[in-house]
Amino acid sequence: MDNPTPATTPKALWEGSGVRTVLDKLNAELIGLTPVKRRIADIAALLLVDKLRQLEGLQSQPPSLHMCFTGNPGTGKTTVAMRMAEVLKQLGYVRKGHLVAVTRDDLVGQFIGHTAPKTKEIIKKAMGGVLFIDEAYYLYRPENERDYGQEAIEILLQAMENHRDDLVVILAGYKDRMDTFFSSNPGMASRIAHNIDFPDYSEGELMQIADLMLERLNYHFDDDARAAFAHYIHLRRQQPHFANARSIRNALDRIRLRHATRVLEADHALTREQLTTLQAADILASRVFNSGASH
Amino acid sequence: MGNMDQPQQITDAKKRYSAGVLKYAQMGYWDGDYVPKATDILALFRITPQEGVDPIEAAAAVAGESSTATWTVVWTDRLTACDMYRAKAYRVDPVPGIPGQYFCYVAYDLSLFEEGSIANVTASIIGNVFSFKPLKAARLEDMQFPVAYVKTFAGPPTGIVVERERLDKFGRPLLGATTKPKLGLSGRNYGRVVYEGLKGGLDFMKDDENINSQPFMHWRDRFLFVMDAVNKASAATGEVKGSYLNVTAGTMEEMYKRAQFAKELGSIIIMIDLVVGWTAIQSMSNWCRQNDMILHMHRAGHGTYTRQKNHGVSFRVIAKWLRLAGVDHLHAGTAVGKLEGDPMTVQGYYNVCRDTHTKVDLQRGIFFEQDWGALRKVMPVASGGIHAGQMHQLIDLFGDDVVLQFGGGTIGHPQGIQAGATANRVALEAMVLARNEGRDIKNEGPQILRDAAKWCSPLQGALDTWGDITFNYTSTDTSDFVTTPSVS
Amino acid sequence: MRITQGTFSFLPDLSDEQIGKQVEYCLDKGWAIGIEYTDDPHPRNTYWDMFGMPMFDVRDAAGIMLEVTACRKTFPQHYIRVTAFDSTHGTESVVLSFIINRPAKEPGFRLIRSEEPGRTIRYSIESYAVQAHAEGERY
Repeated sequence: MDNPTPATTPKALWEGSGVRTVLDKLNAELIGLTPVKRRIADIAALLLVDKLRQLEGLQSQPPSLHMCFTGNPGTGKTTVAMRMAEVLKQLGYVRKGHLVAVTRDDLVGQFIGHTAPKTKEIIKKAMGGVLFIDEAYYLYRPENERDYGQEAIEILLQAMENHRDDLVVILAGYKDRMDTFFSSNPGMASRIAHNIDFPDYSEGELMQIADLMLERLNYHFDDDARAAFAHYIHLRRQQPHFANARSIRNALDRIRLRHATRVLEADHALTREQLTTLQAADILASRVFNSGASH
Repeated sequence: MGNMDQPQQITDAKKRYSAGVLKYAQMGYWDGDYVPKATDILALFRITPQEGVDPIEAAAAVAGESSTATWTVVWTDRLTACDMYRAKAYRVDPVPGIPGQYFCYVAYDLSLFEEGSIANVTASIIGNVFSFKPLKAARLEDMQFPVAYVKTFAGPPTGIVVERERLDKFGRPLLGATTKPKLGLSGRNYGRVVYEGLKGGLDFMKDDENINSQPFMHWRDRFLFVMDAVNKASAATGEVKGSYLNVTAGTMEEMYKRAQFAKELGSIIIMIDLVVGWTAIQSMSNWCRQNDMILHMHRAGHGTYTRQKNHGVSFRVIAKWLRLAGVDHLHAGTAVGKLEGDPMTVQGYYNVCRDTHTKVDLQRGIFFEQDWGALRKVMPVASGGIHAGQMHQLIDLFGDDVVLQFGGGTIGHPQGIQAGATANRVALEAMVLARNEGRDIKNEGPQILRDAAKWCSPLQGALDTWGDITFNYTSTDTSDFVTTPSVS
Repeated sequence: MRITQGTFSFLPDLSDEQIGKQVEYCLDKGWAIGIEYTDDPHPRNTYWDMFGMPMFDVRDAAGIMLEVTACRKTFPQHYIRVTAFDSTHGTESVVLSFIINRPAKEPGFRLIRSEEPGRTIRYSIESYAVQAHAEGERY
């Protein structure tokens, strides 16, 4: 066998495909999620090798690329979907690489004859890219036999089958509800090639996320504040409606409000340090510390 | 020209207005520090002063003679706000690479001009100065009109966008041909050529500039036969078709009469020659605006102004005047055909016709920015010695908004006029299709044409006949510029 | 006869692949795309019926081709054209328009001449198909 030229070594192809850049970006912008990132890299590797195999005439059937992202809110599903779309574009599996993110309301109509045009409109816009359906299980409402969601599902199934070259669909939502949805919609389940589970963030990861968010906003915690916020995370995680990174962002927004009110009470000129430092008092005023029941 | 001695205006009124002869610069027609106002009209002249005449004094003379000056001092100046009425030469640069020639910039106050009158603009700017003795030669290279003045003109009665909407033809250049031979065809024979060309695939046929109402074919006969041909071709193809009926005549009354008859017969377009003059052009433009008629301008005679590089008026200025005066079609050169014109310079003329806002573009001979104030756009016409084999070059140079006129290239086709028209239309559509598909038509053009000719024998015939013909002469009009100004 | 309205009527009928490439060209330019159909192809019949509204936010030609296919399926014997709209100031009009479907048989137009004094003739054009049948039953 001939020695492969440098341009055709797998490593060179990998570097040249631009996938590496996208994965690096994903690494930089999302803390943790190690298993998810590994799965994305695996899928990218598989798709690249598929291309090589096609060149050798080994396999000609286009791979099914529809995916399901399961996990609690705020675990990075939408962000990963956007990067996935970029990866697919770099590898030539979708032409445009844009992401159209929708929920049930965008697909399902209010009256007879309303649903098909709505769903088709969304599919039209997503062609050449990725259609991301958040909380996809709401499409299926078994309690109502005449629910128009079923019609949307059928049109989606058709598009997923007939336009595999034009469209990748990613369904997303809580794991348990997604499982129920698939068990009642086996047609949908059979068309999903990759299931990726997004774990909840650990307390340490949530702290890192907070630091990253603050860094981008030009704020930082002092030592007491850091300790207070670690405690905050610990308490908040056990409370209802916890939404991982999203809850952290919301908490930081409220902390910044309290910081602003506090520093305005000063009777001297504010230093740069004062404008950027969050203190324990800004955090400890949160209701999370009052009781385990409210937040 | 920082190194020249700056002549000083004489500001002491007693000295300035004592009887006698003063230098123009001393009279105040030169002001090297003048910063043109947003409302000034600007002109750029290329001047060749006589031996021994200082370029700044020559520039001042140009400013003087194109505004208030006369050869001697007149006391009646002092009854006016003469400082304002004086045009000001404010910059003189040597023309790069051509010793003895200078670019001189002159600013004119808006109050010097009558609103909506190209006759007045031309009488001022080119009225006197071109016969002026201290200059060997002078050429008006470019002009800038403040948007306030632009808005005093109605501009093209139809414009590119509306013309396309009326014709229902989009996304490709329009196709035309001039009926040939120019002279001698009877009305009946003339209409035959029109029908064949239009049925074969052209959008327009055209009268030539000197087809008026001669003994061999009176105008009414021409109009009647031509319109029968136009309507028959329209029914045969399902397309809107037209033939530019030349209404050029000896008097305005006669032109209006002919235009009226063209309208009654259902023509969508009439034509006039540049030689009818600015006032007649603006009058016919008004008539066209009132009668939903496209106005085609044949630039007959322009070469007497535009041809010489050192003397006359550049065509880009004529094109600006005509856009203000209000014509819809304007012959603006081909760059690849039999008539003169360097490709970049010709593109400059096209941009003047079609821009919403023209930017300074020295390579294309555009010295001034021009805000067109939402004036409609003129459809440029490329006509003269072009054929189907050059389709890729023409589309690459000029884009979609142009009428490509293949006179000889249609009527001279060995298989007949319809075949000639079809060859052009197929070449055109194949090239636009290929360009839109992302192909590099500049280089792949000949192959695209050969591929289309495989299923279109008229195109094969055209390529066999003219495929190799090019007109390569040294251009007589290139723009002189250096990318970085050499003048300190 | 073959009606030669539209940008590409002198070429052989475009394949779906060719149509897709033209659509892609339009989308790249940021133009909106509409699909229109008619059974009255008079040269001055400007307002063909719209098969849905012009599409403004579609990113890929495949999205438009879904509608092209649907329109052809609904109106197989009508004239159908793809029309692109450019909203740029100074244009704000149609910038490309080409026929992508036509009836199997095109009877064409009759030229009606009414003579008037002074050898003047008034012309009108009438479609044989339109004259023969009501809308929707013409081809």
